[in-house]
Amino acid sequence: MDDDVLTTLKLLIIGESGVGKSSLLLRFTEDTFDPEQSATIGVDFKVKTLAIDGNKAKLAIWDTAGQERFRTLTPSYYRGAQGVILVYDVTKRDTFTKLENWLNELETYTTRNDIVKMLVGNKIDRDDHEVDRNEGLKFARKHAMLFIEASAKTKDGVQCAFEELVEKILQTPGLWESESQGQTLRLGNQEQGGGRACGGYCSVP
Amino acid sequence: MIIFDNVNMAAVTDPESEVFEITDFTTASEWERFVSRVEEVLNEWKLTGNSTRKLSKEKADYSNGTWEEKSQEINFVDFTFSMTHYALVQENENDTNTELEEAPFPLAMQDLLCTKNDFPPRAHCLVRWYGIREFVVISPGPNVEAIISESKCNLLLSSISVSLVNSGCQVPMFVQIQQKWRRLYSGECQGHGVHTEFEMVHLRKVPSQYNHLSGLLDIFKSKTGYTIYPLPPINVAIRFTYILQDWQQHSWPLQPPDFDNLLGGEVGVEEFGKLPFGACEETISELHLSTTWPELTEGTVLDNDVYSDLDPLHAPHWALRIKTVEHPQCLLGDLLTDLFKLRGRKETTEEILGRGSAEEEGKDSTISSALSRLTEPAAPVPISKLSVSSMVHNARRHIQRHRLNDESPLGIEELNCILQYLFPDAAMDKTENQSAQPNSYGKSQKDQNTDDLFIQLKSAPVESLTHRLALCMCLVNSYHGGLRAVAYLWQEFVLELRYRWENNYQICGLQEELPDLRCCLLHQKLQMLNCCIKRKQARDNICNTPERSSETASQNVHQPTQFTATASSSQITAGSPGKSLDSWSDSEEEFFECLSDQGDTETPSMRREKDGSKTRAEGRMHPCNNMTLLNSSELLFIPVTQEPAPMTEDLLEEQSEILAKLGTSAEGAQLRARMQSACLLSDMESFKAANPGSVLEDFVRWYSPRDFLEEEIVNETSQTILKGQLSPRMKIPGNIWVETWENAKAVPAHRQRRLFDDTREAEKVLHFLEVQKPADLSCHLLPCIIHAAILKLKEEEASENIPSVKNNIQKVTVQASKLLQQFNPDYSNLQDCIDFLIAMEMVIAQYRSLKTKFAIAEAENEEQRENLRQFLNSLLEDPEVVVSGAGHGKIGGIIHRLFVNVQESANLDKEPGQKKNEERKLTEGDSKNHDFPSPAGREILLRTCIPRPAPYSKSLPQRLFCVLTRDEFRLVGAFSSDTSFF
Repeated sequence: MDDDVLTTLKLLIIGESGVGKSSLLLRFTEDTFDPEQSATIGVDFKVKTLAIDGNKAKLAIWDTAGQERFRTLTPSYYRGAQGVILVYDVTKRDTFTKLENWLNELETYTTRNDIVKMLVGNKIDRDDHEVDRNEGLKFARKHAMLFIEASAKTKDGVQCAFEELVEKILQTPGLWESESQGQTLRLGNQEQGGGRACGGYCSVP
Repeated sequence: MIIFDNVNMAAVTDPESEVFEITDFTTASEWERFVSRVEEVLNEWKLTGNSTRKLSKEKADYSNGTWEEKSQEINFVDFTFSMTHYALVQENENDTNTELEEAPFPLAMQDLLCTKNDFPPRAHCLVRWYGIREFVVISPGPNVEAIISESKCNLLLSSISVSLVNSGCQVPMFVQIQQKWRRLYSGECQGHGVHTEFEMVHLRKVPSQYNHLSGLLDIFKSKTGYTIYPLPPINVAIRFTYILQDWQQHSWPLQPPDFDNLLGGEVGVEEFGKLPFGACEETISELHLSTTWPELTEGTVLDNDVYSDLDPLHAPHWALRIKTVEHPQCLLGDLLTDLFKLRGRKETTEEILGRGSAEEEGKDSTISSALSRLTEPAAPVPISKLSVSSMVHNARRHIQRHRLNDESPLGIEELNCILQYLFPDAAMDKTENQSAQPNSYGKSQKDQNTDDLFIQLKSAPVESLTHRLALCMCLVNSYHGGLRAVAYLWQEFVLELRYRWENNYQICGLQEELPDLRCCLLHQKLQMLNCCIKRKQARDNICNTPERSSETASQNVHQPTQFTATASSSQITAGSPGKSLDSWSDSEEEFFECLSDQGDTETPSMRREKDGSKTRAEGRMHPCNNMTLLNSSELLFIPVTQEPAPMTEDLLEEQSEILAKLGTSAEGAQLRARMQSACLLSDMESFKAANPGSVLEDFVRWYSPRDFLEEEIVNETSQTILKGQLSPRMKIPGNIWVETWENAKAVPAHRQRRLFDDTREAEKVLHFLEVQKPADLSCHLLPCIIHAAILKLKEEEASENIPSVKNNIQKVTVQASKLLQQFNPDYSNLQDCIDFLIAMEMVIAQYRSLKTKFAIAEAENEEQRENLRQFLNSLLEDPEVVVSGAGHGKIGGIIHRLFVNVQESANLDKEPGQKKNEERKLTEGDSKNHDFPSPAGREILLRTCIPRPAPYSKSLPQRLFCVLTRDEFRLVGAFSSDTSFF
């Protein structure tokens, strides 16, 4: 079954508690919405295979608890992630203002600096918006992130968010390929032509 | 060409094909099939079109341009040939397309006469000899015998001739004949009504009548059948090459450091932190000076058996190249190679050192490393069981053991020296040590800011214990006993760590409090061990030694452990949020009372508890935002909680795997949550203990505030009050939060089961360390060593300023970073990185060698020094560097002097008469100038354009390239003829 899978990617979902991280993930992996989704303890884990441009990518998605106390536990799992979804709740401003903290956390605990980041403003189905779309956009631009508003409840933007993120990761050179595809070193003054062309000086000892 | 004609005739006049109108190839010979195969390949490569282009006026970049190579195997019966197409990629293709003028003959023939591309510094020999930019070579495949017999040669030549004509290919084609090393080629080029034959003569000795220009001109003239009059001028280009390989004047400056001396005593300790650098021998083997006279005309220069005009000093064009020693012994390189080789050794430490030694020491935990003697005098109380006499006894046993097996890989002084370098705190007084540690921490923090190389390479910070260990292991491996010494040092190192664990001494030089996942695994393991020691220390301090606890408490301000915090918090009344540093130390006396008799120290505010007042509050940290409990007026306290368990990356990996294995089903998720709820339970128990009478809502208000929804409601008396309730998700019956809350008993953190079992974890780390083989160790330390090597190269480069090296350091850092970030690094690629580092060391050593030879320090002024510097840099980078001003320029002068010096010292050694004879024999042409030795190689290129074979034929390019060296005489000719009427 895994034969045609191009690569396995590790994704993270982080953000303040109650912004709907687990709901977004549930919507994406099982296309359902559970209004009684219980609060995550520690980390949770889901898998989904996604086809992007004919390439199949297996996604191992780590969902984390947002509570402050769990932050001593969860960042350990940031290691080796290629993409991260940073979620806030558009109806709760404080979940937006705390995003900077989350970015710092990422900076500290992720092992690579070219990780692809996506900002998702969740719960846009509600009416009582406290964070304007433009604010989200501005924040995302400032921190070089992808941005989308979504609703796990109504499905809006969820699939798209994950797809965009994966596509971006696949487009980032060096982020996912096995190293054998990487270029090899070459000394600046080494001969390009290989061994066949003998040195011009060959005719003289 | 007789064969070629016959074949054509045969094809045309074959009677059978005329009769039956059937083309019958069933009888085609092997030879015919070979010819058609060659044609097929030519077609495949699209070389058959009319490729005649006008020669562009500019100089083609033969040596630095890109040469394209295509190769194909073809068979003649069971004889394998490889057919290869070489072509210079034309960069200005567009320009040539615009002037699509039909050239009179194939490009290759035009190239024969072109004078702009003579003597390319680096190119295929056929390019050098014929000046062509595109050609096909058929040579015997690998493991196939050479074509020696004449008939075979002719057969091959005929084949290519037929193929070229049949396919209309105008690219010259060659076959390689005779032994490969002779580089003998024979070939042909076909155009419309013209063709060129390429032929070669190769002899061991130069026949004396051809040992000069005039003799060679005679050959050329006779070969071209020079019959017309007046004679068109023959164009001559000459290049003499002189070799300088005697460096008596410049003995190699760098002596290998005396490593035995380093351990002699006082200096040794510091020296262990430094990597050696440089080459142990001369890195430049030869200087080749090429003096060129381009574009002479026959008659303007005289060079015969008695006289020569060709004085190298006055040649209009000088170029210099260096020949480097292939693999000089380089100190840093050897060190890296040695360590890398260690990876292949399969032996365990036990196998290397003999079974007994490890066991003996491992069992007897009172024996510690030799270092224990250093630590001992200043050691405070905890190791009371170790009396001085037992220490001495142990040390003596230690030494005895060394004496017993004489082949002990490391001397006791050496070992002490290394251990002192690794654990500098052991030598210091304990108090001194404590003040010293923060200092070194601060210093390395500064390093971190300027240099995050350790993150890129996943090594460890410079100056950290791990980094120093890597340096020591490397030096020990290369200079102090190799594999056995490495195993031995490692054993001692682990023993020292065990000693520190058992006796509660922190390990210095590990900086971070928790394992830093950005560092290498070994560093994380050491940090983990340190964490365990710290926690054990904190525990033991409270339990055993009351009078020392205050010190511990103040030490641990930044990282309060549950125990000290518990004690202090009992001091705090409800009104004082947070604590100052002072309150910690102030509290020390009550602290112990509290431990011994907790009931008495309750503050009045605590006694005023309502319902749950029977239970006492324990383990309070500080109030939470002045909130009160929902069911009472008591302040809501944040409890002291257990610290999270530190994790190293391998543990983490293990844990993630376990969690991931539970699958993605609802049950799996449930199980996962339960597995991770230990921390939640612990926190809830602490909370209950700190807040007697609290309910889940209270806990949630602290722990997950957004799950406590408050709304304003208007009550009966029309007052708006805030009413709070749990969020829907917390109200789900039977959810883990509720369940855990119900199961939680009021237990303060310090009485709970430890979430992190420091004893077990420390033993796990120590066991991990003990079972590492030297090979594993070399893998663990490799990132640190690559890190150190890069730093060393940077440092050395900075003092020389060599741009190419600077660039390459960047490149290799990026590459190494990519490799080392992986969980299982690809060691064959890492080998490339190491080779690359070694190559850079070599370049720096070469540069330094050149610097002394060209006496850069004695340059007259800054400008000249800078010129010289650039010149030397190009020498290292480019195959050949033009000497501006030739023999009369500044640099030319220096080169001239180098040659003169060598000549003078050579003349002193020889008797005059003998010398004269020899010189005469070798270079009749150069008897005039004694500043230079006889040229090692002479290349003479003759060109003209004359009608051939008859005076009324077209004028066509003719070329003869002659190579004269001590043991080779080669004539490489290309003679074109008009085939219109022949």
